[in-house]
Amino acid sequence: MQNNNLDNNAQNSQKSKQQAAKRNRPKNLNLFTIRMPINALVSILHRVTGCVLFVILPLLLLLLQLSLSSAEHYAMVVNLLHSLFIKLMLLGLAWAFFHHFFAGIRHLAMDVHWMTTLMKARFTSKAVLGLGVLATLMLAIILWS
Amino acid sequence: MVIELLTKRYPGMRAWLMQRLTALVMAIYSVMALGRILLEQPSDYEAWLSFSQPWWWRVASLLFWISLSIHAWLGIRDVFKDYVPNASVRGLLLKLLVVMLWVYLAWATWLFLAYAGSADLVLR
Ligand code: HEM
Ligand code: HEM
Repeated sequence: MQNNNLDNNAQNSQKSKQQAAKRNRPKNLNLFTIRMPINALVSILHRVTGCVLFVILPLLLLLLQLSLSSAEHYAMVVNLLHSLFIKLMLLGLAWAFFHHFFAGIRHLAMDVHWMTTLMKARFTSKAVLGLGVLATLMLAIILWS
Repeated sequence: MVIELLTKRYPGMRAWLMQRLTALVMAIYSVMALGRILLEQPSDYEAWLSFSQPWWWRVASLLFWISLSIHAWLGIRDVFKDYVPNASVRGLLLKLLVVMLWVYLAWATWLFLAYAGSADLVLR
């Protein structure tokens, strides 16, 4: 039964390559028209934060190289943190990482079929959102102390 | 059946699995990094160097970046599939994505394997 389905899928996917253009499947990916229950919110934030992390990769490498290159440059990188603007940026980016991390762990848990009923999934969604904010707050405390 | 699912006939399953494996590698590295930062609390340049210089840490960092490259490629590719309907525009963006990830990987490899390990960093 399972195997049959899979075989059909494989054939379909070959056919669908040719047919994809002709077939007009309905598709709604406009986020502003989608109702956002908490699981959907966690999911779309996982996607958004994943993209944000991708965009800042060169910045990350640049900062790492600068911070290693000499004591002066190291001091320069650390001094960046004296600016409120940079601090807030860093907090925002750190939140992006924390959220992507916790939501990613939630994904992995669900992939091994843990916490997959609707009520449990809602609970873990809240936990993911909460942990992301909590981790960011802790970083804020460290930055300002 | 599980093995069957990992053959070329089902590329989606491979992508799915790779996304998970790379996520796992990155998660482990992240926890290790956090643990080391809390333990060693590097607070000046010297400490930051000795944090970054152990060979096993640089190898772990490279493994992390290799995972990141694969993970980001699969992830951003999925996003493009959803939000860039025009096939030729999407093809172009995907090529750009691959080039960027290779450049970053080359840069990161050099940073971790050569630069962060070079002894004269300490002497300067
Ligand atoms: C014989 C039983 C099952 C098999 C062979 C099976 C297999 C799989 C596979 C291959 C995936 C990955 C699909 C993908 O994400 O592309 C998956 C994902 C998942 N499964 Fe199952 N599953 C089974 C039963 C269940 C049950 C009983 C539940 C829940 C009560 C469940 C919940 C989920 C969830 C939540 C995901 C994650 C979907 C996602 O990636 O967003 N599965 N399962
Ligand atoms: C600790 C590190 C990380 C973990 C545990 C993790 C986990 C995950 C998981 C499990 C997925 C699959 C979600 C799905 O199938 O819908 C995913 C997707 C993704 N990840 Fe990560 N990830 C991590 C780091 C990163 C980094 C550093 C980047 C950026 C360079 C990134 C970018 C993405 C993108 C763009 C997606 C696709 C999102 C989507 O299709 O909705 N991830 N991540």
